[in-house]
Amino acid sequence: MDFLFSSFAAALRLTGSFSPDVVDAVVTSLAVSAGATVFAALFGIPLGLLVGLSDFPLKRLVVTVLNTLMAVPTVVVGLLVYGFLSRQGPLGALGLLFTPTAIVIGGVLLAAPITANYSLASVRGADPRIVPTALTLGAGRFLAVGTLIGEIRFGILAAVIAGFGRVVSEVGVAMMLGGNIRGYTRTMTTAIALETSKGEFAFGMALGIVLMTVALLVNLFLSFLQRK
Amino acid sequence: MTILYRLNSIRKCYGSSVVLDIDGLTIVDSRLYTLIGANGAGKSTLLNILAFLSPPTAGEIFYAGKRVDWNHGSVEEPRRKVTLLHQSPYLFEGTVHANVAFGLKARGIPGEERRRTVEKALAIVGLQGFGDRKSRELSGGETQRVAMARALALKPEVLLLDEPLANIDRETTGLLETVIASLPAQGTTVVMTTHNPEHPGRLNGESIFLEGGRVVPRTTV
Repeated sequence: MDFLFSSFAAALRLTGSFSPDVVDAVVTSLAVSAGATVFAALFGIPLGLLVGLSDFPLKRLVVTVLNTLMAVPTVVVGLLVYGFLSRQGPLGALGLLFTPTAIVIGGVLLAAPITANYSLASVRGADPRIVPTALTLGAGRFLAVGTLIGEIRFGILAAVIAGFGRVVSEVGVAMMLGGNIRGYTRTMTTAIALETSKGEFAFGMALGIVLMTVALLVNLFLSFLQRK
Repeated sequence: MTILYRLNSIRKCYGSSVVLDIDGLTIVDSRLYTLIGANGAGKSTLLNILAFLSPPTAGEIFYAGKRVDWNHGSVEEPRRKVTLLHQSPYLFEGTVHANVAFGLKARGIPGEERRRTVEKALAIVGLQGFGDRKSRELSGGETQRVAMARALALKPEVLLLDEPLANIDRETTGLLETVIASLPAQGTTVVMTTHNPEHPGRLNGESIFLEGGRVVPRTTV
């Protein structure tokens, strides 16, 4: 137990000291996670709404596929994107492998199914009277759907937050596609993995504290928006 | 007297079950109709069709002499002349004012005129000064009255009411009955469903009896 307590104390000191390595990892993590979340939301939310609001023959299959994609291991996504971005891959010429952009691409693939599924669940859980009420009051189709989105906005917001949570906490994609390059593609999670393997347990724990703090701040932000 | 609705051989089916089967029905303007029938008689289904929210499975409907085209773009025009007030109305999140103003905003009514219309509509249902109240903080009776104000603000050609007087207190019932009974004289046709056999007489309305999805001369319910 002494080891844990002394490591935790050292981690707190490191966290408070704003070591450049910690700051770099935090900034990179937040930047790639935010980028991936934005693109995942732009793709996943409309997809979830579309699937939720329309009826088509293969709907059940599409929903099953979306559900399955939520559970895809991050290393599998990393492997797939690696295949495309590596020198021999079809997109190798773009030189994106081991860049923050590669991590964003992988992050989008991880977060989009989550934002889509959460949005779909929000539509399914919405009060069935919303759209007919809007229509009978004279709304056109777009205003009626816009009204529905307004009524389920907390569910949509939760979709974005869950997508962000998936990306900021994953390690497989960041490691395989970013390469864990210090000061460039090293994120909080890859730094934790590296420092712990080097025996720098306190440093890894410091990053863990920062990661938890970020998660807490994001959730506090969500609660704040829900109270407004 | 102008014929507003003419229904020809209307059928509505869900799967293999036929819930509405009306050979012919005519509704003229500035009158009050009460749709009377037991649960499952097809009253709400008929109201949804008359509100142009749900197309019939078969048959045709003429509104103000024009055959209704159920394509999304085309049906919006007649739909804007008709407002349906559900039995358990939904109020959008936000203020009472925003709710009552919703349809006016959708019609592009300017801000000041919208505000005046909202206040007038709230006054009709006895809710002066309720504009800033949150819709989620209203009682059941207040919700019903706000929904009525929201419909009245639009001055629709036809107001369709699905059990508007169910589950509300006696005071609110009296107020809403007075408001509803006054509408035909102001040019609004009212079609309302009810279980109460006294309503047609009290509201000076004409009865349409539905039984098993069919219009019948008189029902035992």
